[in-house]
Amino acid sequence: MIEFKGVSKTYPGMDTPVVRDLSFTIEDGEICVLVGPSGCGKTTSMRMINRLIEPTEGEILIDGQDNTSMSGTQLRRKIGYAIQQTGLFPHRTIADNIGTVPGLLGWDKARIASRADELLDLVGLAPDQYRDRYPAELSGGQQQRVGVARALAADPPVMLMDEPFGAVDPITRDRLQNEFLHIQEDIKKTIVFVTHDIDEGIKMGDKIAILKEGGILAQYDTPENILVKPASEFVQSFVGGDRVLKRLSLTRVGDVDLEPANGNGNALPRINAEWTLRDALSEIIGAGADRGLVVTDGESNGGSRGAITLDSIRKISHGAVVPRG
Amino acid sequence: MDSADDPPTSTLAFLFQAEFASEEQQQKGFIDWEWLGENFTEDVVPAFLQHIYLCAVALAIALAISLPLGILAARYRGLYGPFTAITGFFYTIPSFAMFIFLLAIGFSVGVTPAIIALVLYSLLILIRNVVTGLDSVPPETKDAARGMGLTDRQILWRVELPLALPVIVAGMRIAVVTVIGIAVIASYIGGGGLGTLIFSGITRNFPTLYVTGAVLATLLAISADLLFVRTERLLSPWAHRTRGAR
Repeated sequence: MIEFKGVSKTYPGMDTPVVRDLSFTIEDGEICVLVGPSGCGKTTSMRMINRLIEPTEGEILIDGQDNTSMSGTQLRRKIGYAIQQTGLFPHRTIADNIGTVPGLLGWDKARIASRADELLDLVGLAPDQYRDRYPAELSGGQQQRVGVARALAADPPVMLMDEPFGAVDPITRDRLQNEFLHIQEDIKKTIVFVTHDIDEGIKMGDKIAILKEGGILAQYDTPENILVKPASEFVQSFVGGDRVLKRLSLTRVGDVDLEPANGNGNALPRINAEWTLRDALSEIIGAGADRGLVVTDGESNGGSRGAITLDSIRKISHGAVVPRG
Repeated sequence: MDSADDPPTSTLAFLFQAEFASEEQQQKGFIDWEWLGENFTEDVVPAFLQHIYLCAVALAIALAISLPLGILAARYRGLYGPFTAITGFFYTIPSFAMFIFLLAIGFSVGVTPAIIALVLYSLLILIRNVVTGLDSVPPETKDAARGMGLTDRQILWRVELPLALPVIVAGMRIAVVTVIGIAVIASYIGGGGLGTLIFSGITRNFPTLYVTGAVLATLLAISADLLFVRTERLLSPWAHRTRGAR
């Protein structure tokens, strides 16, 4: 659990604070997304957690303990850190990069090596192929995977991620996001995730903290509630005009009650159960149909689970609550 | 490096022999191979070793000064201007003037003023490259290092200096070639080295001597340069392996 208590930051020589009286609590095992326009202090807020920046006022508690109760370097070794440009060490191999924090913590070499392999597997890079390479020999997406693996190396309970998937193309980013959410289901870290992209925030966050210029917390809530009940005009405009569609992107087709797929399903568009309702809507409208046949990954025509209709999607968009998968 | 202990003796010994040899050199052609064969180990090798000794010691001292000054200047930008102004001033002094000046302020003829002069000539190149090298370290790499809990000292030794190494070695290459050239002139103030062969060869009109000196100085400069290239490749394999994005 991470608690911000009246945290403010004013840089020397500046009149106005970049973060103002920030108070909120991040629960264990949740991804808390800090999002907002540039200059809203989201990165500053994140960097105050591991004291890369010291707050001017207030305190930050991690599991009830003031984060100033130990030295900054000790604190940082206990908190995972992943950033947009990855910051991988160009002169160290991938395995050495991942082993950075374990090395600082004094793990023995065999343990570090096996941990590196384990993490490479976890982020989907074959250890045999990648452990001895240098970062420059990897693609941008692979480097970001290594960046995440490195942040996870010493199995820290808390992770700070500053646009960790920011420097790659949208398709790769989508894949990395999905993979990371999948990993998070198992590892259940407490994660502070900074992004400027509200769509990424909605996708990744269990909670979203929307900050506005001057470092003021505009709203802190679940993605669902922020989309349904934006607290202010600022939040409403920041979230954008397609709130309804964004909300549909929170729900997966497989989590919705489906209708029986009666009749001839061959003419209907195929909807993957892993897709979001937003993707399903697009597919159904694109096919000129009023319903789609829901199939599970790997199955073909025979394995249909039912049908999803435009009507049911419309109902959900109007507020029929679907529990998040 | 034994020759370093008694340069004056060996220098005198071979000057004497050189004079001896010049009497009969007309009959022997431009290069007197016989003389070279007979005097190689006593005269040429010591001068060559002395030259290496002068340059190596000067470079080692220059690096020992430039590294901390460069690190300081990279941290505190205000120092960079004064550092380059002072070392740049040294760099512009003609080498003869520098040697004479060192004698004028009280140094006695010998190895010491020679090494001091060579150090002063290297400082500008080395300090500038240390700073450029440290500047070339990506800020996000330093940020990640700090964010993972490396101390400032660990960041310097494990991240910044290794990453700056190729640029620092590039400075060493320029410095070593410069120093090997200027060290020839250092023989005028008793520094010894290949300059003794060259200048006495010229004075005595004995080409074998000055050609040998010049060829060895050139070979030394080329091999020192290659040695640094090799060392750098060995120390920074990462800088030379890029399979590119894939």
